[in-house]
Amino acid sequence: MSIEVKIASIFLQYTNAQKVARVKGSTVGECLDHLVEQFPDLKPALFDKTGRLRRHIDIYVNDESAYPEELAKPVKNGDKLDLLMLIAGG
Amino acid sequence: MLTQAELERYQRQIMIHGFGEEGQAKLKRAKVFIAGAGGLGSPAAIYLAAAGVGTLRIVDHDTVELSNLNRQVLHWDENIGMTKTASAADKLRKLNPGVNIEAVAEMITEANISRLVAGFDLIVDAMDNLPARYLLNKTALEKDIPFFHGAVHGFEGRAMTIIPGKTACLNCLYHGATVPEEKSPVIGVTPAVTGCIQATEAIKYIVGLGKLLTNRLLIYDALEMTFAELKVNKDPNCEHCGNLSGK
Repeated sequence: MSIEVKIASIFLQYTNAQKVARVKGSTVGECLDHLVEQFPDLKPALFDKTGRLRRHIDIYVNDESAYPEELAKPVKNGDKLDLLMLIAGG
Repeated sequence: MLTQAELERYQRQIMIHGFGEEGQAKLKRAKVFIAGAGGLGSPAAIYLAAAGVGTLRIVDHDTVELSNLNRQVLHWDENIGMTKTASAADKLRKLNPGVNIEAVAEMITEANISRLVAGFDLIVDAMDNLPARYLLNKTALEKDIPFFHGAVHGFEGRAMTIIPGKTACLNCLYHGATVPEEKSPVIGVTPAVTGCIQATEAIKYIVGLGKLLTNRLLIYDALEMTFAELKVNKDPNCEHCGNLSGK
């Protein structure tokens, strides 16, 4: 089981500038858990203190939004996740 | 009806297949509202003015600061302290005297937005904060005005086009989420590309050419020099556009 995660530029400060990671899991939540194991600094950027995904974080599975109930979305071997954060600068 | 000078000025775009004098006449009749005269608003306004959009209303309450000048290319060193709208209007009128430039130095609020957008055909979202973006999105939907979203952070730009009642809106994309209002990092080339994408979409909509960036979020990653697309679905329960389904 291997899932590719594309990490948006805004998170590079937490991933040693790594933009693509490989994770394992059968749901988006398990994949993100594996991702933050690899990049612990990413955890507070993605989750609040209760472990809920922050509202301004967006997850796409194979280019489709995983909203709502993102963490429960099932994934399978070969899927691609995009990890984004809302941006609003002009 | 185009004048001889207009036929000459816009000759090279009139030559584009499917554009023609009719396309140019559509641009001349169009009235575009640009919310924000900063990093995104500058390139959007420059290219819409250069293309010959008949009326541009540019709304921004800020004054020009030195720290704006790395990216807000309508404003120059000599404009520091001026309102951004006056600075922008001055350049745009010199660029194309045939365009009616309306400069409005007001903050966009719930109280004035209906008045500000009244009579306009398109809204370009070149703001720098989410509350204003959501307000514009909601107003555009309520008044059935196509809405051209853009945003930047660092070397990343995003754009999406919203056709009220037909496509996903900004709230479908972000579900009412917000981020703290703080100065975000950015280099001028990012809004330059992103603002031009917004202007391109606006021109395509007005002239009636091509495939719009609807139900798709375009992500420009300048560090990787890639353009990626993600699908955005219209949310039937969206608080902004859910009631417009099937309009």
